Amino acid sequence: MERAIPGYGPLQASPLSAKGCSIGVPKECAMLLAPAGNLEVAKQAFQAGADAVYVGLRGWSRGGARGEFDRKQLRLCIELAHALGKKVQLAANIIPKPQERQKLLRQLAELADWGLHAVILNDVGFLREVRRKLPGLAITASIGCGALNTGDALFYQDLGATAVVLPGYVEPQEIAAVKAEASIQIEVMLHMVQEFIQLGKCWMPSYLNFAAAERGYPSPRLGGSVKRGGVGSCFRICQQPWSLLKDGVEADQRLFPSRQISQVAGLAAFLDAGVDVIKIQGRSLPAEMVSAIIRMYRSAADDWKRGQKADPKTDPKADKKTNGNRAVLPVMWTVQGR
Amino acid sequence: MGPFELNTTISNLRNLRESDLSAYDAVYLGNIYCRIFEDNFLECLDDLKEGIARVKGQGLRAYVTSYAAPRNDVLPKVQKALETAAAAGADAVEVHNLGVLRMVHEQFPGMPAHVGGFANVYTDAGAEVLKEYGAVRFTPNYEISLDEVGAITSGVGMPAELVVHGKMPLGVSDYCFLLEYEQKWPEKCPTLCQKNLFLKQGDWAMRSVGKGVLSGKDVCMLEHLPALIAAGHNVFRIEAAYETPAYRLNIAQIYRAALEQAAAGGDGTVDESAWNTIREHTAIGLCNGFYFGRTGAEYVGKRMQSVVAC
Repeated sequence: MERAIPGYGPLQASPLSAKGCSIGVPKECAMLLAPAGNLEVAKQAFQAGADAVYVGLRGWSRGGARGEFDRKQLRLCIELAHALGKKVQLAANIIPKPQERQKLLRQLAELADWGLHAVILNDVGFLREVRRKLPGLAITASIGCGALNTGDALFYQDLGATAVVLPGYVEPQEIAAVKAEASIQIEVMLHMVQEFIQLGKCWMPSYLNFAAAERGYPSPRLGGSVKRGGVGSCFRICQQPWSLLKDGVEADQRLFPSRQISQVAGLAAFLDAGVDVIKIQGRSLPAEMVSAIIRMYRSAADDWKRGQKADPKTDPKADKKTNGNRAVLPVMWTVQGR
Repeated sequence: MGPFELNTTISNLRNLRESDLSAYDAVYLGNIYCRIFEDNFLECLDDLKEGIARVKGQGLRAYVTSYAAPRNDVLPKVQKALETAAAAGADAVEVHNLGVLRMVHEQFPGMPAHVGGFANVYTDAGAEVLKEYGAVRFTPNYEISLDEVGAITSGVGMPAELVVHGKMPLGVSDYCFLLEYEQKWPEKCPTLCQKNLFLKQGDWAMRSVGKGVLSGKDVCMLEHLPALIAAGHNVFRIEAAYETPAYRLNIAQIYRAALEQAAAGGDGTVDESAWNTIREHTAIGLCNGFYFGRTGAEYVGKRMQSVVAC
């Protein structure tokens, strides 16, 4: 089915993309959720098979430098998605100051009227306020909330969240355990960079450089604060070389460990475990990269639907270009170190 | 509770036995970062029981902390630690993870919950939600200013616990990179992370404790205590989980004297010998954290820079 969107050429919706993914839809319809830093990325993500995209709205999302939409672009994106039977989620995942909450609530109400599917939030207080005042809007507890276990999922379920995001290093059996007790949708960031410090639990940048508010944004943002910056300026503290001093003497020079996680080759295990939403990190990624990643996950998810299981060792979908480790982790990333 | 509470953190029974706690009102027992920290109270439940008895036996309040970021496989152990805490008469538990807060609320309804700094309390709205889950006290996220803390305490009616001295937590990981050095260094886990380890880059420094990163400088609010008391704060923490018994004692004695003076209406003047003691216990220098809305590593105050930055 081809549709023409104002400002764009004809789009071909993927015949294999999940349709109608929403609250209450069975798990076999796992939604493929793509990042989009601009309209072109959203278009290509939909074309590659994404069921939904998540975007930032200028001034209200973490990582603004990675791409935020203005209101006009966001409206166009929602229209584009609706024309294709797809969805748009809004990452409003900074923690708004008390005096900002009403302004953001009004904006969310308007966006919900436009047909926004869901909003991604980071603060438990604001999350509950949105649930009470905008009952028709789906809410996702951001990965920045730091949820890791069944209790976390139940907590956000209690608050009225529709979905909660877990990091992609959580194992399928952990997800199955969460699904056994919680009815909230489980969204897993299966393609992401795992940094040394857990998402939502890092204050290293602001300890070292708490920059003044960035100019040109409608509300004062605090550069250096991952939670409140909203301008993508965490200064990549963890990706710079550090000297490790032992008793005052330099013992080593090193980076904080990090790695690129890509679970496409093992996607079936996550879908078997009951993952409801496959999330891809990266609103800073260019369109061609997002498109390539989404095609891999779309194909793997559709293989799973057909009952075909990929061999992680031979599957070409385990593309080295998007699966390469940024840093080698020689020992004990998980079990013993945990 | 008297006019104020001064508390600290101790990770295991050995450290507890070695520490003179006479200047404290309460102690948090347990290490929040790592299950395999040397004889972590949260894993050694007989030790935890003895630790609670030992603290209470000194007339202090005994609190039990819990892991900053537990995954599902850790929750059963957390539950057992909570059961031990409740049975041994702990006065409160500290929770950093919202799933654990929910567990405490549902399974230990009579147990007061102190919300820890990793729970990300940034706003009054967030604190209000946690209060409904049984929180009676909160440590604000370390990034927020005293003005923001005041807005929460006045708006929600829940006291804040403020780190007034020590190394402020900056992050928690699922991975301990110090384990990579077991092959190279004579020290091994589980005592490796207790060594004097800092990460430095130019003027920047942070303390590595394996799965956690702490501020390199020591937060020091000594000269600001009268302002904290005047603002209505009365729960203060000396963050000393990775410090020596001498640090715990000497720093606490200074703060106890200063708090008593401030509570009596003093102007906050502190004897110079106290500053010298603080300097002796400071490896990198002093800072105020985020209390004044500035970069966490900065120091705002009257002290000479030579004293503040070692």
